[in-house]
Amino acid sequence: MNPFVFHCPTKVSFGEHMAATASDVVRDYGGTKTLIVTDEVLVKTGILQPILSGFAKDDYVLFTEVPPDSDIDVVNRAATVAREAGCNCILAVGGGSVIDTAKVVNICLSLGGKLMEYQGLNNLDTRLGPLIAIPTTAGTGSEVSMVAMVKDHAEGKKLLFGSRFLAPDCAILDPLLIVSLPPKLTAATGLDALTHNIESYTAVISNSIFTDALCIESLRLIFEYLPRATTHGDDLQARAATLVASAMAGVAFTNSGVGIVHALAHATGAKFGTHHGLTNSIFLPHGMQFNLDVVSSRYALLARNLGFSNSSNDEEAARALISAIEQLSTRVGLPNRLRDLGVPELKDTQLDELAFLASTDPAIMFNPKESSVDDIIAIYERAY
Amino acid sequence: MSAFANTDELQTIMVELWNTIKSDPSMSTKLLNSKLIVQFRYREPDGIITIDCRDGKQFLVYGGDVKIKPEVEMAMRSDVAHEFWIGKVNVPVAILTGKMMAKGPVNKALALLPVLKPAFDIYPEIYKRHRGAVSTKVSG
Repeated sequence: MNPFVFHCPTKVSFGEHMAATASDVVRDYGGTKTLIVTDEVLVKTGILQPILSGFAKDDYVLFTEVPPDSDIDVVNRAATVAREAGCNCILAVGGGSVIDTAKVVNICLSLGGKLMEYQGLNNLDTRLGPLIAIPTTAGTGSEVSMVAMVKDHAEGKKLLFGSRFLAPDCAILDPLLIVSLPPKLTAATGLDALTHNIESYTAVISNSIFTDALCIESLRLIFEYLPRATTHGDDLQARAATLVASAMAGVAFTNSGVGIVHALAHATGAKFGTHHGLTNSIFLPHGMQFNLDVVSSRYALLARNLGFSNSSNDEEAARALISAIEQLSTRVGLPNRLRDLGVPELKDTQLDELAFLASTDPAIMFNPKESSVDDIIAIYERAY
Repeated sequence: MSAFANTDELQTIMVELWNTIKSDPSMSTKLLNSKLIVQFRYREPDGIITIDCRDGKQFLVYGGDVKIKPEVEMAMRSDVAHEFWIGKVNVPVAILTGKMMAKGPVNKALALLPVLKPAFDIYPEIYKRHRGAVSTKVSG
């Protein structure tokens, strides 16, 4: 067996009504005053109520200004609120943007100094204050991952932070919190988690049996339960399965990286503001076709494990997996072309620019096959 | 045993390597176009190499401490740097396993990795030529 390093610094608590234990978890980690980071939409839905009811009124402050596409200004405002209130713990309740924001706020609150000094990978050398994450979508895996991304809209830049110290101390997975997630968002975030699994399983350094096991079981859960979670939002068994599957995929990708599909989705999202999970779902079959000649045996293993093929021919089995993913995407009602997302047809110079963005995205270095600008453009055009 | 005897040997080898890269347009043009200032901070033995391409015209190579604020900083053990230049380090692996630290806009630095590939053929000869020579000179 190849040598490997596997990190899983986040404690995971799962169960219905588990979110109501958040105040106890905070106290377990020594939190006496908590900054609760969330967004306005969640405040309006009333989801926060059972969580807040566990806290004494003076033991927390709410920060509800996180937008879907969070920004360094939001981080700084939240950090100021936390400092002024004397917070020593952060609780994030929301989707990927909220949790990523909370991670970066935690850097500001714990380490002080200039935030830009901490941008990068493995650039933190000390533990941060306690951070507890409660996801309200099932896809990003941010509740267990060691990375965070926020934008600097003023400079038009994307800031990446990655460190084992960035991972939340505890993720509380409560399926009751995601029952009201709309079908389209359920499907898109589910395909995001599926993409994490496929890319982690075949990433250039994916040699850990730990990540393999997580990917296989997470994929099984997604294929079995995502259609149910999408069509019957109140199906708690399906919601629970997709929530757990998302966290499992998060642990996998934070250990092995992702690949060309994410690089293309990041570039397209940056240019046209497309939804990350949705964009991943469109690029995934095309990215897999591109990688097919170097990882067909890995795709084939997945296909056989998941029951999509019993062929001994790797390429045939791999194609069965790609086909199963396309069918799942259609079944949960997702579009399969970029043009369906409102992305305009690009001129050659715009294609070059997009390909450059994708080719310099950190995700691409984990892809199992090297890609040229022409390769990236070809994948983009096929997905269009 | 470390790949480098001391700071002098490390910096001499790295400065010559980067000067060779500078003289090869297949690599230097793209590095100049990046307009980046990248600093490599090594430990065991310690050493600092700074590559300054900020104006897109001059390719400046510095060994040792300089009063220049880099846009990207890469930190690693000197042995990891040596293994990188002989093509034995997979950068994604090194980052995920914590062997390499990258500070700043990592994507800009990573974009330059493929550009440096020809230097993998150059480095062994430079290393061989200086290995031992600098440490002998230093010890007198």
